[in-house]
Amino acid sequence: MFERFTKDARAVVVGAVGHCERSGGEWVEEAHLLLALLDREGGRAAFALASLGLEGRRDAVERSLAEARRCGGLTRADADALAGLGIDLTEIVSRVEEAHGEGALTPGRTAGGVRRPGRRLFTRGAKDLLSQSLRLALAHGDRHIGDEHLLLALTARPGVPSEVLADHGVTYAAVERLLWGQAGTKAG
Amino acid sequence: MVDIFRASTYIDSMTEATDLAERAGDRDPRIGLRAVAALRRLLEQLEAVQVRSARNQGWSWQEIAAELGVSRQAVHKKYGRQ
Repeated sequence: MFERFTKDARAVVVGAVGHCERSGGEWVEEAHLLLALLDREGGRAAFALASLGLEGRRDAVERSLAEARRCGGLTRADADALAGLGIDLTEIVSRVEEAHGEGALTPGRTAGGVRRPGRRLFTRGAKDLLSQSLRLALAHGDRHIGDEHLLLALTARPGVPSEVLADHGVTYAAVERLLWGQAGTKAG
Repeated sequence: MVDIFRASTYIDSMTEATDLAERAGDRDPRIGLRAVAALRRLLEQLEAVQVRSARNQGWSWQEIAAELGVSRQAVHKKYGRQ
């Protein structure tokens, strides 16, 4: 599949691995791909993000991602769903942190905080994102997978990255309208 | 004055109660399923925290498995590599 990736798209994947390594994570997650997309200068994804007003709001995005990680990687939609059952996610997070330290619920931690050097693996979510970008490229009649397809796939999938992007006006429909001129192709 | 104030508070709390009832008893399966999925994600993180804590305190996989009500192999397979 990677042979179909443009130089821009490959740079995003490599950048995501870098974000994962720097954060001390073991698994490359969708959030790392989002951060790598925000690093891009030039290219279709960077154009879309800038046009939709995300330029210069990287700090806000990073804060939102960090906050979601602190809550076990759960989205606000998850928190609302739990509230519907009478479960207060914030309360649980604060109790767990009281007993086990700040950031205790952060996903992907290893026992004792020791992490192994070497290759990073992609989570299932991140792998699914890559294959979804391929499907979206095909659905739009594009022969290659560019960073814009990675961005579109991120907005199409439920989860923390799409929620954070949507908070800044970067939705599936907005990206599609901007880059392909129309909304209408179903998220693959 | 007082009566109007009371009436509006009453209506407000009624609206709130209706909202709550609608949410709790919602027949839309999506809401219930989403809550279950969220709960499962939360459970996974909570389990990881507790297993890590037990291991740091020197608990054996057998002891942890017994408390969780699963087999030793299951716990070890899930967390042992770390």
